[in-house]
Amino acid sequence: MNVNNHEILLEVKNLKKYFPVRKGFFGGETQYVKAVDDVSFHIRKGETLGLVGESGCGKSTTGRTIIRLYDPTAGEIIFNGAEIGMMKEKEMLPFRKRIQMIFQDPYASLNARMTVGDIIGEPLEIHGLATEKEKMEIVHDLLKKVGLAPDHAVRYPHEFSGGQRQRIGIARALAVRPEFIICDEPISALDVSIQAQVVNMLEDLQSEMGLTYLFIAHDLSMVRHISNRVGVMYLGKLVEVADRNELYEHPAHPYTQALLTAIPIPDPDIAKAKKRIILDGDVPSPLNPPSGCRFRTRCKYAMPKCAEAEPEMKDIGSGHMAACHLL
Amino acid sequence: MKNEKLLEVKNLRTSFFTHVGEVKAIGGVSFALDKGEAIGIVGESGSGKSVTSLSIMRLLQYPGKIVEGELIFKGQDLVKKSDKEMQAIRGNEIAMIFQDPMTSLNPVYTVGDQIIEAIRRHQGLNKAEAKKKAIEMLRLVGIPSPEKRVDNYPHEFSGGMRQRAMIAIALSCEPSLLIADEPTTALDVTIQAQILELMKDLKEKINTSIMLITHDLGVVADVCSRIIVMYGGLIMEEGKTEDIFYNPKHPYTMGLLKSIPRLDLGGKKRLVPIEGSPPDLLKPPKGCPFAARCPYAMRVCIEQRPEYTFVDEKHRAACWLLHEDAPQIEVETGVVRRRA
Repeated sequence: MNVNNHEILLEVKNLKKYFPVRKGFFGGETQYVKAVDDVSFHIRKGETLGLVGESGCGKSTTGRTIIRLYDPTAGEIIFNGAEIGMMKEKEMLPFRKRIQMIFQDPYASLNARMTVGDIIGEPLEIHGLATEKEKMEIVHDLLKKVGLAPDHAVRYPHEFSGGQRQRIGIARALAVRPEFIICDEPISALDVSIQAQVVNMLEDLQSEMGLTYLFIAHDLSMVRHISNRVGVMYLGKLVEVADRNELYEHPAHPYTQALLTAIPIPDPDIAKAKKRIILDGDVPSPLNPPSGCRFRTRCKYAMPKCAEAEPEMKDIGSGHMAACHLL
Repeated sequence: MKNEKLLEVKNLRTSFFTHVGEVKAIGGVSFALDKGEAIGIVGESGSGKSVTSLSIMRLLQYPGKIVEGELIFKGQDLVKKSDKEMQAIRGNEIAMIFQDPMTSLNPVYTVGDQIIEAIRRHQGLNKAEAKKKAIEMLRLVGIPSPEKRVDNYPHEFSGGMRQRAMIAIALSCEPSLLIADEPTTALDVTIQAQILELMKDLKEKINTSIMLITHDLGVVADVCSRIIVMYGGLIMEEGKTEDIFYNPKHPYTMGLLKSIPRLDLGGKKRLVPIEGSPPDLLKPPKGCPFAARCPYAMRVCIEQRPEYTFVDEKHRAACWLLHEDAPQIEVETGVVRRRA
């Protein structure tokens, strides 16, 4: 799919999301967890941008801030030309049906006391998109679209397996005919053989309905498979963005390089021959991130300069952006 | 390496007796593990891989019960051991590390205390000696400045360090068998890489047999020399790692290999999922548990459980397609080997 010429659907500029942490019993000093700290990227219409990184890197917070489950601390979120980052709840409502989200845990993201039909139909009610009669028809269509049967509408979530529940979550997201879907680790709770079913379905729905995805995951193999472009996050920062093949074949940032070699490859010959870049230690605390480049404490190329100045995002050729002083 | 058997599991059947009926979690599993060998048990949730390890450890809780079978460890049947006898073996001869390092350490004791407890219980060392050994173990698993870290509480450790501490506890009594149940699933990829390197390294150093239970084929490809593929409470296929990846004989193994995207091959090739979902073990199917999802299923597959066919001495699979009377079908097999 060539999506290079398409217009930009979503642009995120210098997005920040800080969470306050109060120290001491009586308030006292307030520190901030800088979960997302000055992140900028864009997504074109019809494309899939993959967002990868380890836990605590801010990838899910980025997704949740874009859909305004969190209010951004600073920065702009421009969706189809409109700045939605600072919008009031009432102004935001029409945008809510254009941006939907699929969550990681299919056990926690469906209300156990509602039937599947009510779960999928609820967004239609909230946005006043259908009468009661039309609603059931739409629900039945959606169930068929995600590979379930119309008579499943009267059942409750506990009667379904993990993979089927994730399909229900997808049907709910599709109910309001969104343009943009944020998929927050949609397959990581599923078994290997079921993951492929869900990924294939997401791909089919994309080409059928012209959807744009932000695909957040920690499984780098799956991200390479589904994305057009991929962004890598580390400790609240976006460190590299590039076209899928470019990123995986010519990673520029030392963190991306280490991350890619860390993935176990299901091929014994290659697994045995492969040299891993083993990163020492753990991700530092986001309460008190290192000065300069945040990766420098684990980077084998770190220089004095890395502690002093924060590297800027640079274009190193045909849209491949990376933030490292080595480049 | 000498082929000396350390553990032999013979026709193990384990069930959970719930209020809705008997869930046959393991329906007759046999395999053996040699001294110093690393074996991988691969399967999806509900395949019986974790219940197998809990049965070996005799850690099954009510309503779980070993219904039938023998667990011959160093010539003795673990099934026949009393709880007290098992306590002397557990943590000493057979140790286990669990998936979740956040919940498997006790938060109110220091990490050092928890290692010392295992050492003193099984080795009868005094407190000072045990502490020295605990520090040594933490150093072995790569915890920086172990003299200080030994007095830390689990919450002061990161996820990767907690899993290292768990490994230190497990290895402190130099067990002959280490069972690792999804040891890296809860960890990030860069930390997973650290732990896997550590396990490979330790295997060389202390010659422990490892039973690695995981759903991640990439992890076993790297660490294990032999693989058991489980599905629906039964072993579908068993063989050397190379055979399982490059020459799989069971359609389930083939399906698993085809449904994972390959990072190193790139390309946006469409994934080939296994359609359907795993069987309900409350009513296990009469025939092959995979028959309902198998693209090659025949009538016999639904009616009768297939016996194992041996491809060679170490490679066996339970599939009717391997029967001499079965129709010859062109099957697309596993990973294409790229170097001779």
